[in-house]
Amino acid sequence: MYLYVYDEIVQGQRFERELALIETRLTDLGISGKIARLALFRDAEELIKDEIRRGTQTVVAVGNDQTLRKVMDAVGDPKVVVAIIPLGPGNNIAQILGVPSGVAACDVLSARLVEELDLGSVNGMRFLHVVTLEGAQPACTFEGNYTLTPAVKSSLAIRNLAESDELGAANPTDGKLEFVMKTPRRSWLIKKTDEVSTVPFKKLQLKSSEMMSMLVDGEKLEGTEFEIKVLPRQVKIVTGKDRKYV
Amino acid sequence: MAKHNGEETVIAHGVRVEGEFVSGGNVVIEGDVQGLIRTSGDLRVGDESKIVADVTAANAVIAGEVRGNITVSGKLELLATSKIIGDVAAEIISVLAGAQVNGRVTMDGTAGVKAKVAREEVESDVE
Repeated sequence: MYLYVYDEIVQGQRFERELALIETRLTDLGISGKIARLALFRDAEELIKDEIRRGTQTVVAVGNDQTLRKVMDAVGDPKVVVAIIPLGPGNNIAQILGVPSGVAACDVLSARLVEELDLGSVNGMRFLHVVTLEGAQPACTFEGNYTLTPAVKSSLAIRNLAESDELGAANPTDGKLEFVMKTPRRSWLIKKTDEVSTVPFKKLQLKSSEMMSMLVDGEKLEGTEFEIKVLPRQVKIVTGKDRKYV
Repeated sequence: MAKHNGEETVIAHGVRVEGEFVSGGNVVIEGDVQGLIRTSGDLRVGDESKIVADVTAANAVIAGEVRGNITVSGKLELLATSKIIGDVAAEIISVLAGAQVNGRVTMDGTAGVKAKVAREEVESDVE
């Protein structure tokens, strides 16, 4: 049984036609299901959990990265499969998972290539993609064994799922997260460049005397101390054959 | 920026590491390290790097300064800019003109055993 969760952002006139096409295609493929529409005062978690209790085995987020995040947080059950039909802007995760935008995503959903992926956790807040932190100089303690400190304020990223770039891809099935820190190097002789440190890890603590503000899959989190760890194989998710993380 | 696989650890220039630095993959150090370095993979130490630690690795290329004992089960390459203050043990050693070694050099085959023991410890730590 499928549950389709329409985010508020796709419920306007702008996506009316695309949604009609998607619903027709899902019926043609024999994977139509119940539709739940998110609204400002409707609790997504309660709604999704109720449907899982009634036997839903696949919950499909219809929207963007934020929709997928809301759905994953609400599902919480590693046996239930999560999927996305990307609509509109802000769909980086779907792109990396190899799920095309709009009606074409229905065929990927129907092919049902399910992968078990790791998640990351920052002070208990789960993430699939990336955590970013700009202009900070925290003490970074890995696995409780050693501490790495930048000499100047640097930009940090904790990657779980990332497509191949100059640093390579971040693989969300390896049981590790990837720490990437860019430390600016400036001298009067050479122009400013970034020195890049990378560390694969399972557990990391960030501590700073100054307030740090990070984005956890696009959601803001502030504090002076963060505990970050990998949660291996926490989510079953539908991916496309063109996925970009391996 | 160099392309790397997900298992490689890179400590860049301008970064300081303190403590027991244990890794299950290859390690590149361009910054400063104080404490201990143990890897079951290969190690590369850049020419601006300063290390105050005992070092264990499968193979190593050193261009910077190391104050501590170095144990390598395979090949150790000391580049022209390297400066070692400590004992060195390896199966094969290559020393370029200009490299400084202030310590005992051992090539009696025990480095492989020592590094193997260290590697097994690393693997159990990384698990």
